Amino acid sequence: MSDTDTTETRTDGGTATSDGANDEPVTDGGETGIVAPDDEVPTWEERKARKSGLSQLTYEYFERARREDQDLREESDYVERDVLGFPTWPHEIIRNMSISLFFVGMILLIAAALPPSLELPANPSSTPSIILPDWYLYWSFGLLKLNPLNPGLAVLDGSKLISDQLYGVLANVVVVGAVAFLPFLNKGSARRPVEQPFWAAIGAGGAFFSITISGIAVQNLIPLPLELQLNIAFVGPVVLGVMTYALLKTLREGYMYGLNRRYYMLRPPK
Amino acid sequence: MSLEKQDDFDHGAWLKRKDLTPIETVFLTALVYLDKRLRIVDYLELLEDAYYKVNLQMPKSHTEQYDLDNKFWYWYPLYSLGFFSVLAYIVAAVSGALLGFYYSPSAAGDPTVAYQSVKMIMQDVQFGYALRSIHRWSAQIMMAAVFLHMLRVYFTGSYKEPRELNWLLGIILISLSMVFGYTGYLLPWNQLAFWAGQIGVEMALATPIVGEWGAQLLFGGFTLGQATLVRMYILHVFILPFVVTALIALHVGIVWVQGIAEPH
Repeated sequence: MSDTDTTETRTDGGTATSDGANDEPVTDGGETGIVAPDDEVPTWEERKARKSGLSQLTYEYFERARREDQDLREESDYVERDVLGFPTWPHEIIRNMSISLFFVGMILLIAAALPPSLELPANPSSTPSIILPDWYLYWSFGLLKLNPLNPGLAVLDGSKLISDQLYGVLANVVVVGAVAFLPFLNKGSARRPVEQPFWAAIGAGGAFFSITISGIAVQNLIPLPLELQLNIAFVGPVVLGVMTYALLKTLREGYMYGLNRRYYMLRPPK
Repeated sequence: MSLEKQDDFDHGAWLKRKDLTPIETVFLTALVYLDKRLRIVDYLELLEDAYYKVNLQMPKSHTEQYDLDNKFWYWYPLYSLGFFSVLAYIVAAVSGALLGFYYSPSAAGDPTVAYQSVKMIMQDVQFGYALRSIHRWSAQIMMAAVFLHMLRVYFTGSYKEPRELNWLLGIILISLSMVFGYTGYLLPWNQLAFWAGQIGVEMALATPIVGEWGAQLLFGGFTLGQATLVRMYILHVFILPFVVTALIALHVGIVWVQGIAEPH
């Protein structure tokens, strides 16, 4: 800007100079604050750049992440295709609709073939001999009935430290908590059971335990002594787990040979 | 400064200058109209971003990408279990909404109004018996599908690294589904419902510190009655449907973003 150009006309008729001497705060009559959308208007990129603090960091990170993605894409030997994918209509939609209709039809068929019953009305004065929740809560109900395992402590004169009910509730909390904690215990890129016989054995044993503990829930319907039932419930899953482990260990070599031949030659493991 | 529109910003003239098809004209007119009022240009970048995200090219399937010679991962049909549980959830929601027209959650009378309304649904309402049967069975099938879905996720290692949070969300969802089932099981107020509720109260009371408060909150007291029935009803038809539907949407959304975990 040249020296002669420092005086500018204002909308309120006054003049202002930008030579520094008159740089006092002006209350009104100054700029409108409305900026004409010409070439001077900052682009979105520039607006982002002007941000400060957390938002700037966020944008910086996003830029980095995008660059990283781009690099990975360029490194990859994955071949881009002309056709983006399987056409949604009609192929994918028809397929999904037939699967969905088949499945809903199956629900209707089962519902028609096996209608529910309505038991006697609630009667607080007569306890039924069999109280059971729906089948999917049997495992939880079985864990509530673990009172034979609640140890009596000698220091407490043989009495129990926690009540039988609390013991059952805690058993539920422990089981659900252990399952929830799983992804933080088992990491890595292995996906197939043969690649991790130990974790597959844990899974098989756990799934079997959910069935055997359901047996504890219906203990009074099973004509076996309770002690034997508890042994089956706890030892059975361990046996199954050991068997799974042994089986997968045996299969592992041959299976991994095929997997390596077909797969890792194309994409070596990290 | 004149209020006359400068040429650059005279969108009408710009529209006329361009040789547009009717569809393009309607689209642009609507866009300009909305933008003048709502400044949607400010959100355009977000929309554009969303557009490209939705249309991201999906990678080839594992089998195709690594040329597995049609040696298909033969557990692949089990990958549909999540979808099946959503479908059963929808069937249960629709039939449940229809049942809601006839059911009344009242423990008054002997046998109770709730019990009699279920009896009425099963004996008098057109297709009422079928409706209750469908509702019950779709709930059972949803639970079965959810359990099998969880096993599938376990044995294909799909809960691993980027997907831990979705596994946790799944644990929350399966627990809430069981609460859904439990609250629904109590609604007919028959013998089994009453005594299952009794066990629930005992469980709550056995819990230290929060137990009594929890029993008050969920069961409306330490003995079962009208308050229990209404609380179970509100949980079953109002609170859980919203919470579980939202969580299912989040669960599926995360799967959408992260992609299906195929076994490697």
